Amino acid sequence: MPILELQNLKKYFATQKAVDDISLSVEKGQIFGLLGPNGAGKTTLIRMITGIFYPDEGDIIFDGKQFDPVNDVGYIGYMPEERGLYKKMKIGEQAMYLAQLKGLSHSEAMAKIKKWFIRFEMESWWNKKVEDLSKGMGQKLQFVTTVLHEPKLIILDEPFSGLDPVNSNLIKDEIFQLAQSGSTIIFSTHRMEQVEEICNHIVLVNKGKKILDGTVKQVKQDYKENLFRIGLSQPLQELSALAPFELAGHQDDSHVIKIKEGRSPNDVLRFLLDQGLSIHSFNELLPSLNDIFIRLVEGTPTARQFQAMNA
Amino acid sequence: MKKIWIIIKREYLTRVRKKTFIISTLLFPLLYMGLIFGMGFIAENSKQSLHVALIDSSGYFTSDLIGQQNLSDKSSDITLVKGDPAPVIADHKAAGYDGYLVIPALNWKEGSDSLLFKANKSYGSGSTAAVEAKLNRIWLEIKNDSLQIDSLKQRILNKHLSVTPKNIQDEKANVKTAEGIGYVAGFLIYFILLIYGSQVMMGVMEEKTSRIAEVIVSSVKPFQMMLGKILGIGLVALTQFFLWIAFVLIVYNVSIASGSSGMATEMVGSMQKIFTSVNMPLILFCFGFYFLAGFFFYSSLYGAIGSAVNEDMREAQSLSFPITMLVIISIAMMSAAISDPTGPLAVWGSIIPFSSPIVMMARVPFGVPGTVPWWQLGLSMGLLVLGFIITVWFAGKIYRTGILMYGKKPTWKEMIRWAFRKN
Repeated sequence: MPILELQNLKKYFATQKAVDDISLSVEKGQIFGLLGPNGAGKTTLIRMITGIFYPDEGDIIFDGKQFDPVNDVGYIGYMPEERGLYKKMKIGEQAMYLAQLKGLSHSEAMAKIKKWFIRFEMESWWNKKVEDLSKGMGQKLQFVTTVLHEPKLIILDEPFSGLDPVNSNLIKDEIFQLAQSGSTIIFSTHRMEQVEEICNHIVLVNKGKKILDGTVKQVKQDYKENLFRIGLSQPLQELSALAPFELAGHQDDSHVIKIKEGRSPNDVLRFLLDQGLSIHSFNELLPSLNDIFIRLVEGTPTARQFQAMNA
Repeated sequence: MKKIWIIIKREYLTRVRKKTFIISTLLFPLLYMGLIFGMGFIAENSKQSLHVALIDSSGYFTSDLIGQQNLSDKSSDITLVKGDPAPVIADHKAAGYDGYLVIPALNWKEGSDSLLFKANKSYGSGSTAAVEAKLNRIWLEIKNDSLQIDSLKQRILNKHLSVTPKNIQDEKANVKTAEGIGYVAGFLIYFILLIYGSQVMMGVMEEKTSRIAEVIVSSVKPFQMMLGKILGIGLVALTQFFLWIAFVLIVYNVSIASGSSGMATEMVGSMQKIFTSVNMPLILFCFGFYFLAGFFFYSSLYGAIGSAVNEDMREAQSLSFPITMLVIISIAMMSAAISDPTGPLAVWGSIIPFSSPIVMMARVPFGVPGTVPWWQLGLSMGLLVLGFIITVWFAGKIYRTGILMYGKKPTWKEMIRWAFRKN
């Protein structure tokens, strides 16, 4: 059963259709990538899922029931892109305050804060103020306050911005752990290399519409261009028209080839063997998500034009 | 509801524990009294004592008469010039005078005469008033002498009739006390509205600039967030009040116990006399009501402004100017209401919600229902409650949009549009 299902969600603002008929479903335990260029409508979509905005149309089904913002926000942890903490408040009190706002009792919150502070080696920070922390430390604290109440659904908007590689890895490991222990994570970003590394399933949004939906593997398969890299002991000579592939480029002793329509990799290998060439490597080149992203979004203006509304 | 309570607790505790709260609680009464006494002190001491040469051509003024007055009134010093006045007229500075007056050869039976105080500096009328008064007292003696009016006749002549307003319906509403209480209560509410209203605004701005707003609204409704802040800060203001009252009571009791008769005891004693001479429970109740309701009315508007602007303090100031103006207009109306508590300005000012917290508080000490009929008090309270429900609702709508909005400062027109937009 999916933890979250969006059905034909719409949210129009005075000057633009921020979210224009988006449906998607997020399975339990998934790490779900919500991708899209700036201004695609990701934040508006997330704000509807977190109960900050009401959709104009459409339904949100959370954990099998109609989403009820007042009660369900306790099961959601949200780390917005525009995030911060009270600068002059002590770190321990701050974590306690945010946990209590999520509905935890004082003692529950205290136990969980202690557990996380020890895990992240933050115990000695309790009485420090946020303004005394470095940006990276602040981000760690922000992450802790987001997941402290053990939410079923965790939404992270650009979670790695402002983190050094060490802390990035720390947070990444935590994200995997949380997913393993049953939490679902929606991960919004435009950093594609992180998505390939972390997400199982992705959705690409552009101009308020969903333009891509599938597992990372599936999407790559769907958008592959039949490109292969082969390593040969000697360079390829002139290709006859009979060859089942075309050269798409080469570097050093390896060639990038594109298999012709209707031919298979076996045809290629047979052709090369027939030529008496010795092959020492052969592998498929799948497009990176970055390439797919750019291909799909390219040509549409990055900053959205204001659309005329006839409301 | 539970979440609002958590927010109230945070807003309250973070403010009450701050050093600035403790300092301002201690300092405000001192500053307030310092202002009142200091102004009197400065006014008293800033008058110049003029040294005046009197050149008398009439022959009425004698050194004797002048000497007597100089003894009893030291605010100026008049010296009769004997002999040739030419050197004084030529250079009064060298002769040791600030300036000189020439009395023409006048006939005392004729009407008043205008004299010129000649000096090579400009003097304000405040400085010459003392000289004028002294000169007139001497002149009166000269006239009395000539008319053969002795001290008994003079006393009879000086008898005046005076008219003092007295409220026969409400014996306790003494006008002088009422004026005093009206001023103090009105000004206190004025300070509270401005100081704590801007605290609400700064608090909201802090949440916006530190970018915690969106984190919080993913847990609570923006309206709860705003209400929690307003209630928390309102409680801080109440706490400060109770501390001041406790402070006064402690000083009062300590000074009674120690039997000393210092200035503080006198003050507290006279304060107690005031408290027993008016309908204190009603005034206190009204004060509590108008203080809280007025605070809700204005602080929600200040909160809405705080949510709409970015970190720039100047944006906040320019947007909050109309609101601050309303408070200042109210205090101007209050002065008028105190001098004429049943006039139309006072009545309407105390009924219309934006000015009623200050103006009604200035009228209530004059007596209910004598000066303020029950229906006016009831209408005023009802409208103010309605008023703050509307401003809190309106502010909540603006807040909801503004708190997540970064970038350009909105205009009032845009903010009003936010208020009427659906979610």
